[in-house]
Amino acid sequence: MHTEHPIDELIRREKETEPNPFLVTRVMAKIEGAKKMRSRAPLWQTITLAAGIAAVAFLGVSIGNSYVENGTAEVALNINDRQIENLGYYNLGDNE
Amino acid sequence: MSDEQLIREITAGNDAAFKTLMERYQQQVFRTVMGFVHTKEDAEDITQEIFIRVYQSLNTFQGESELSTWLYRITLNMSLNFLRSNRKKRMLQSLEALFTLRSEEKTPLEELESAERDRRIRQAIDSLPERQRMAFILSRYEELPQKKIAAVMNRSEGAVEQLLQRAKENLQKKLSSTIGK
Repeated sequence: MHTEHPIDELIRREKETEPNPFLVTRVMAKIEGAKKMRSRAPLWQTITLAAGIAAVAFLGVSIGNSYVENGTAEVALNINDRQIENLGYYNLGDNE
Repeated sequence: MSDEQLIREITAGNDAAFKTLMERYQQQVFRTVMGFVHTKEDAEDITQEIFIRVYQSLNTFQGESELSTWLYRITLNMSLNFLRSNRKKRMLQSLEALFTLRSEEKTPLEELESAERDRRIRQAIDSLPERQRMAFILSRYEELPQKKIAAVMNRSEGAVEQLLQRAKENLQKKLSSTIGK
């Protein structure tokens, strides 16, 4: 098979590639880091925090729902602009 | 220390035992991943992820198969998952590789031709159907016997032989026009 040799050659080169000598150290550090993260926040703390956030959200919604608008009559303010500043005053025709 | 003893030590919380396990199997895992991804950086990243996964799920290892068989299965699955989720990035990498390889023994033209040939071979291997590719990589990169490949892939030896034969034929077909002249 003509194609065998170049394929073998490529595979040989790729097989000779060595991983980083610190790969093991890197993985161990990642595992250690993950362990520390887990031990830093115990389960009860996480649950308390989640319950606190839920309680605040619930309180907010309850307070919002408890608000009732007062039934007082609306006061409408009608201003007659023409009364304040009578444009007819400036109308020359009127003052003649 | 045997694999069984190592597993017992690790599940009991002995991290030094896991380090020993990694040192024992990292070449095997790294070589197999190289067969799939062909670049050192990606192979290192995936090897790292594989060992973290192994550490997290070692307590689920039943011991029904050999540890190396179990490790090969995780390696194959995670390599294929990586390839599925990084298709675009890998296409760019293979083109980039054409222009970054340097050698003092070859002229720039020879260098380019050789890089192009490598790219085509990698592309041909990568385009094999998944099962053929798995069998091919375990056979050629890891030089595993068909019996072991069958155990890793949960197939009969006959089926593995057929997969390897088809992989060989497919590669021949794909590459005969470019490097088989």
